[in-house]
Parts: sequence; structure tokens; C-alpha cells
Amino acid sequence: MLVGDKSDVLQGTLDLMVLKTLEAMGPLHGYGVARRIEQVSGNTLSLNQGTIYPALLRLEQRKWIKSAWGVSESNRRAKFYSLSLLGRKQITEEIENWERIATTMARFLEPAK
Amino acid sequence: MDLIRILLSRFFALFRAKRLDADLDEELRAHIELAVEENLKRGMPAQAARTQALRSFGGVTQTRERYRTQREIPLLEMLAQNIRFGLRHMRRAPGFALVALLTLALGIGATTAIFSVVDAVMLKPLPFPTAARLVQVGSLIAATGKGGSASYLDFADLRDENHVFDGMAAFRTGDLIWIGPHEPVRLEGVAVSANLFSLLGTTPALGRSFRPEEDSPAATGGTDPVILSYGLWQREFSSDASVLGRTLQLGNQAYTVVGVMPKGFQFPIQAEPTELWTTLAIDARGGANALTVQRGAHYLDVVGLLKPGVPIQSAEAEMAAIAASLNKLHPENRARTIRLTPLLQSLVGDLGAPLLILTGAVGCVLLIVCANIANLMLARATARRMEIAMRIALGASRGRVLCQLLTESLMLGLIGGGLGIAVAAGLVRVLVRIMPVDIPRLNDAAVDIRLLFFAILVSLLAGILSGLFPALQASKLSLTGSLQKSGRTSGGEDKGSNRLRSSLVVSEVALAVTLLLGTGLLLQSFLHLTKVNPGFNPNHVLTYQLDAPAGMQSDQIPGFYREVVARMTALPGMTSASAAAALPLTGDHVRSSIEIEGQPTPLGSRSQADFNIVEPEFFRTVGTTLVSGRDFTPRDNVKSTPVVIVNRALAGLYFPNQSPIGKHVRPGIGNGYGPGEPPMREIVGVIEDIKQSGPGVEAEPEVYVPFAQCPWDSVFIAVHIATDPEGAVSAARRQVTSLNKNAPIYHVKTLDQYFSDSVAEPRFISLLLSSFATLSVLLACLGIYGVVSYSVLQRTHEIGIRMALGADSGRVVRAVLSKGMVLALIGVTIGLAGSFALVHVLSSLLFGVRATDPLTFAGAAFALLCFAALASYIPARRAAAVNPMTALRND
Repeated sequence: MLVGDKSDVLQGTLDLMVLKTLEAMGPLHGYGVARRIEQVSGNTLSLNQGTIYPALLRLEQRKWIKSAWGVSESNRRAKFYSLSLLGRKQITEEIENWERIATTMARFLEPAK
Repeated sequence: MDLIRILLSRFFALFRAKRLDADLDEELRAHIELAVEENLKRGMPAQAARTQALRSFGGVTQTRERYRTQREIPLLEMLAQNIRFGLRHMRRAPGFALVALLTLALGIGATTAIFSVVDAVMLKPLPFPTAARLVQVGSLIAATGKGGSASYLDFADLRDENHVFDGMAAFRTGDLIWIGPHEPVRLEGVAVSANLFSLLGTTPALGRSFRPEEDSPAATGGTDPVILSYGLWQREFSSDASVLGRTLQLGNQAYTVVGVMPKGFQFPIQAEPTELWTTLAIDARGGANALTVQRGAHYLDVVGLLKPGVPIQSAEAEMAAIAASLNKLHPENRARTIRLTPLLQSLVGDLGAPLLILTGAVGCVLLIVCANIANLMLARATARRMEIAMRIALGASRGRVLCQLLTESLMLGLIGGGLGIAVAAGLVRVLVRIMPVDIPRLNDAAVDIRLLFFAILVSLLAGILSGLFPALQASKLSLTGSLQKSGRTSGGEDKGSNRLRSSLVVSEVALAVTLLLGTGLLLQSFLHLTKVNPGFNPNHVLTYQLDAPAGMQSDQIPGFYREVVARMTALPGMTSASAAAALPLTGDHVRSSIEIEGQPTPLGSRSQADFNIVEPEFFRTVGTTLVSGRDFTPRDNVKSTPVVIVNRALAGLYFPNQSPIGKHVRPGIGNGYGPGEPPMREIVGVIEDIKQSGPGVEAEPEVYVPFAQCPWDSVFIAVHIATDPEGAVSAARRQVTSLNKNAPIYHVKTLDQYFSDSVAEPRFISLLLSSFATLSVLLACLGIYGVVSYSVLQRTHEIGIRMALGADSGRVVRAVLSKGMVLALIGVTIGLAGSFALVHVLSSLLFGVRATDPLTFAGAAFALLCFAALASYIPARRAAAVNPMTALRND
């Protein structure tokens, strides 16, 4: 009934996407992060951009990213996010987790082949 | 670590909500604007750019919500919001909130108060460390099952020959007059065997307990010991530890204080606190006449401490065997048997039935209260359909709405519960004050913590249960139906709600009629009791008790009493005065064996009669009719023939169809003529029966002997004063003290008060039950009113059509009335049917009316139906006043 329920499923993966985006792009505002994710995923992910904000807050609560108000290229005031040291370390861990899941799933799917 | 970090940031975010909200808004605005910029750069027209930006973003409100959910502790935030909404809702519907809270407060308050009293009096264990193993050892006459007290020799034998008790102790009341620094004052005392305190597992707070050898009188020159109560020590000795070793003059003897009991210690558990304890040595004085050497003098209460693990039944079996062997050894005494009762039970024995009935009544009221609350909530929920539908349309999940409604019910329950606790506290105090005076431990009743939790639990349950169904109902509503302005919705949901409300009302009515029935029966009993002729006239009679002064010789005592009586003529308004060893309704009377002339029977198998000693004019003073023969005169004394007056019951029993005047009977006690067996006495008069134990109890055969022929160490003085008896108290006191200052008067009470006390219990129960019945009838009628007026509201449209089609107002009224009456009728039938099974519980309390009295059943049904008719009539009138045009227009 409520739109955007899908993002609950992708919560963990969304976090990792945000972290990787900030790692690659450097400090970015919310809109920028959302657009970048859309582009990288090849526009196959029909995420509502609004869902980025709870994710950003969650990452900020965990102190994996930090925020600061700044000015965009078009002289607009916006909040910019950047990776913290902790966040950088977390990326490696998250990638390991993700790969472990992927390998396990692959093993499950193999006999069906 | 992560979790803590997250929780902390969420916690602090609660306080900066406004600022953070503003920040987010700005951030989201920036996002949209940036998106619009990019779209414009790509060449979209301005309008399309914005639309596309918003669409890609998704729902802004939802984002805000989910952001906030992530930011704060959702549960707490949700709760805070629920409470805010709940309070707002209550303010908007104050009538509903008020009625609901009042109903809850009264219901919970009444339940908690009654439970507190029941707990304090009946359920709380006795305050002794060994309480669980203490039993009352009752020595009863085998043939009649009456009695309860044992003689000292029997007690000693039972104590020494058993293998099931760790110990046995005996006691009796022994009030003593303290000749101290002030006016002589009478102290509540108890004479106990030396091992009593250790049996109870208590030691004195100061000094020592009694030693075993102190059960026997002290050697010449020594003094018997006395132990004081904490209260007495505080009051009269200013808690001075030097009281130990002091000598007190109690009665005609000197005692040495050897100990002080701890604060709050009480034994025996009774309404009047004991102030000092002495040993049984006092009864061992007097050589051959000492009470302790007479096996036939049953005057001691015995308590025993069971060995651990011994069940009471096996102990009772062994005691019965010992009693049987004693009977065989001493055939001159009446055969006795032993009954063991756990001490707590012996204390609360007859209170069981009335208190449980009260508890049941209160339970009924609570159920009705819950039903009413549920009805209120249901009605309210249906009225809020539109509000709830709108909430759901605006994005609230059904679960959220359910949560909201449940929170509101809980709030209602908790606030109602809080008010209920306040009501309970006040009610307990009121109950303690108006309850019959001699219920032990009543004064300790107070709302305690466990009951507090019980009340909170009940209120929460009431809130949850009564909010549950409407909450579930409301969350399943179809939106389109609810959002329509008309009062009608799809029939399905409303029918279920209506059926539930109707069944709730039916159950309320059933419970109410049950209470009404019980009240009717008890009220009738009470009225019958008060109409019984007690055999005397309690009005205008002042009474007080007096002990013979210490040291007075027994042959001087009757003269002393006569002097006191004579001095009562000085009291203003006095018409007649006299004295007796036991007044009616004081519970002080003595039983004795009697032997009828011409029917010699050995002592062990003689019948029993109540025994009393009176001065001349006694019967006139208390208004008892002399049926035949004469009253005593001053000429009846130890130099003249032993005489006796009997009551009608005795005359009818032993001298049927003949006049007993001139015949002879021999009471087993009361000999003023010298040592040896009491003499045969000539019957000189017959009086009507005096109901010594109260209007509800048949009078026993009774004999009366004159004081002049039978000295007695304590007496009741009765003075009939035509004007105000209470005003003469100080004058009476002055008269007696001027005669002999060592004879203080005590227990000053009018005979009226004794009479009122004797019916205090049935009066109290009828009073309480009628208030419960009234409350429940009121609530049930409220319920009927609610259901009927709601159905009228729902069917306004239909009623309008009918009236437009020609139905007259009479028909409408009848239709509505019948709806209410049908509910009431079903309820009454169920209630009466159920009561039929339950009323037998009341039988022990009823007097002069059968538990299944058909008139009372009919009366209760009729009364409730009348009230139900009234409750339905008001909405019926309203229905008839419906203007068809307005009704049809409000589509």
C-alpha cells in the first residue's frame, strides 16, 4: 500500500552502494548520490530517490559518513556527505560480506543448472 | 557498539526534533531544485521539469516519515503521538471520557477496597513465625458438639500424652484493675501458660518471657510475673526501660514486670488489643477451690503447635483417642471430644460466607462496569468512523490505527485505574469505620501494594479488552462507505457491532438482576431480624461493668453491688436500676449443668442451661415480662431458701404442661451457701425468653439466681433512664468511685448500642449489597439507554420514512420501547435462571425468608423491567419527535 516498500529489502545493499559512491565521487550531496546510483545501476533500479535520505541518516548515525552544509555548483545550499575513516574501513568488510553471500547463493543455485 | 551509537543518536534526536525537521526540509528542497535544474539543462520545459523531479523523488511526506522513523525511537515517538492524539480526543468528547473514567474509577475502587478488607481480615496469615502450624484445640461436649474451652487438668493431659504437637499452650481473658499512680483503670489482660510466647515463635522486645515454673504460684513472699504490651509500655511508662523489675498492683495482688512484647504483637487476635499478659498461676490459688484443679471447669482456650509435617487430620485422630481415654478415666464429667482447627480459620470462621458474597457482588459490578465501558468504546468507535477512514486514506497503516485506538483504551484504563486507587483508599477507610465492630484485624485493612498492582492490572485489562473489538472493527472499515457523509454504512460491520453491544447489555441486565435479588433477600432478612421480639426492651437503658473491689470478702460482695444499685437512684431521670452477671447480647453468659428435682442424673450426663445471676428488679429494668410467679426480693439471701427463676424455654422443656413454680432444679455452679455441691433451688418465677445471643438465635433454657445467694466477681449494672441515658455517665461514675475508689466502671454502653451491634453484621451486608445493586441497576439502565438511543440514531432515516408513510408517533414509541424491553427481558430471564443456582450461597445469612422465595424473584424482575422501560422511554420519545423532513434530508 505504501510506495517504497521495496527499499526495505535493499537496505543493506543500498548502504553499500552509497558508501561506494562516496568513495568514488568524493563529497556529494543527497541528490548527487541518488543520481549516481541510478546511473551506475544502469537505470534498472527503479528506486524512489527519496529513499536515499533514511539510508544516509542511518549511515551517519553509525558514523560511517559525515555531513556538512555546503554550496553546490549552481550556488545552491545543500548538505554534503563524505566518507569517514570508519566508513572507509567498513567498505572492505561490507564487500567481503557481500561476496560471501554471493558465493553461498551460487552454490545453492548450481545444481539447478 | 554500533547499536549503542545508533540508540544514543536517536535518543538525543527526540529533543532536537524541530531543528532537525527544518534541516531535513531544507535538504529535500535542495534535492528537488537540483533535480529541476538538471531537467531544465536537459531541455525539459519548466513545468515538466518539476513534475519529473517530484515523480522521481517519490512521496515527500513518506520520505519525511521514514526519515523520522529512522531518526527517532519509533516506539517512543509513536507512543508520544498516540498519547497526544488520545488526550485531544478525550477533550473533544468530554462526556464520553467522563462517564468512562467515572465508571472505571468506581468499579476498580470498589473492587480494590473490598479485596483489601477481605485480605486483611481473612487471607493475611497470622503475624507469628509459627503461624502455619498453629491450630486451635477445641474441647467440645461430645453429645452436642458445643463448647470449645478445656479445663486445666484436661489441657495438661492432652499436652502430655500426645505425640503430634511440638507444644500446647492455654489462655483465658483476665482483665485486671491496675491500682496505679492515677485513677484505678481496667486493663485488658490475658492469662497464659508460660510457654505461649515460645509456641508462637515470639520473644519479648525487652526483658524475658515467662519461665515454666511460673505457671504455679510464686512462693510466699514472691510475686507473680507480668509482661506488658508495647502500647501499654509506651502510654503509661513512657517507653522507659526501667519498668523491668517494677511492681504493679493489679487487682488484689502485686505483680513484677518481667518483659515487654514487641510493637504490634497481639495475642489473642481480637478487636480489643491486649495490654498485659499474666500466667495461669492466678487460677492455681485457692487450694481445693482453685480453677486449675477442677476437671469440670472448662474455661481455657487451647492452642497447639503441630509437629512439622504432621497433617491436621492425623493429629485430630490422635487427640480424639486421648479424649476418649480421658472420658473413660473420668466418667463423672461429661464426655468430651477434640476438634482441631487451623488458627487462622478459627478466627475468621463465620466471616467466610458474608465476605465471599460481598466479593462476588463486587465482581458482578466490575463485570458490568467493563461491559459498559466496552459499549461506550464501541459506540464511540462507530461514531469516529469518518475520522479513522480519513487517517487511513492519508497514509496511516491499519496497524497504526489499531495501535492508536488501543493506546486510547489503555490511557482510559490507566487514568481510570489511578482514580480508582484514590477511590479505593478512601473507601477502605470508610468501610473500616462502618463495619461491625468486632471483626478482628479489620483496623489493619489498608490498600496494599499487591492490590495496587491488581487494580492496575484490572484497569489495563478492562481498557485493552474493551478497546480490542472496536479497534479491530474500526481498522477493517471500508473506506468509501465510511467517507460518505450519511450515517449509514454497509450493514455487515454495524450488525456485528450492534449484536455485541446488545449481548453486553443483556449480560449487564442479568448481573444486575442477580444483585437485586440478593439484596432483596438480605434486606428482608434484616427487617425480619429487627422485628423479632428479643425478650427485653433495649431503649433507654444505660449499662456499665464493674468488678468487685480487690480484697473484698465474697460475703460482702452482694452487699456492695446492692449499694451501687441503690446509688443509681441519684441519677437524673432514672426509673429503675439493677445488676446482672451477664446482660443480654453481651456474650458473657455462662453455661452450667442442671439437675431436675426427681430426675437424679450423674454429673457427667446432666443437661445444660444458661446461667445468670441477677439483682431484684432486673427484669423490670430491662423490660422483660414476668410470666408467672415473682421476682427476687431483698429477702432472698443466704439465710433464706435457695431460689431460682427460670425462663419459658426451660419451663417448656422440663415441665411441659405444668407450672414449674414450686418445683426444684439444681444448677451446677453458684453456691453462696458454703462449700460442696450447689443446693437444689426452688423455682419462684418464670420469665419470657431473652434472646441472649441476638434476635436471630433461639433462646436457650436459662436459670437465674439472686446475687445475695451467689457472689460473683464482676457485674453489669443496668439503669433505666427515661431521659437521656448517655448524659448520666459521669454522674454514675462519680457515684461508684465515691463508694469505693478501687472499683472503676468500664465498658459503658447503652443496651441500645449492644442491640444495634448484634444486628450490625446483617445490617452492614444489606447496606453494601444494596449500594452495589443500585449501582449495577443504574449502569445496566445506562447500557440499555445507550443501545436503544444509538439504534434510534442509526435508523433516523428509516423512522423518517415510516412517519412520512403515515406511522403515528405511538407506533414509533412502541417499536423503540420493545427493542429495549426485549433486551431487558432476555437479561432478566438469564439472570434469574442463573441466580436460582447461586442463591443457596446466601442461605446461611437469611432469616425468615427462603433463598428461593418466589415473591422476591418476581419483585426483582419487575423492578428491573420498570427501570428498563424508563431507560428505553426517553429515546423512544426522541424517536417519536423526529421530523420526517429533516430525517429524510439528512441523507
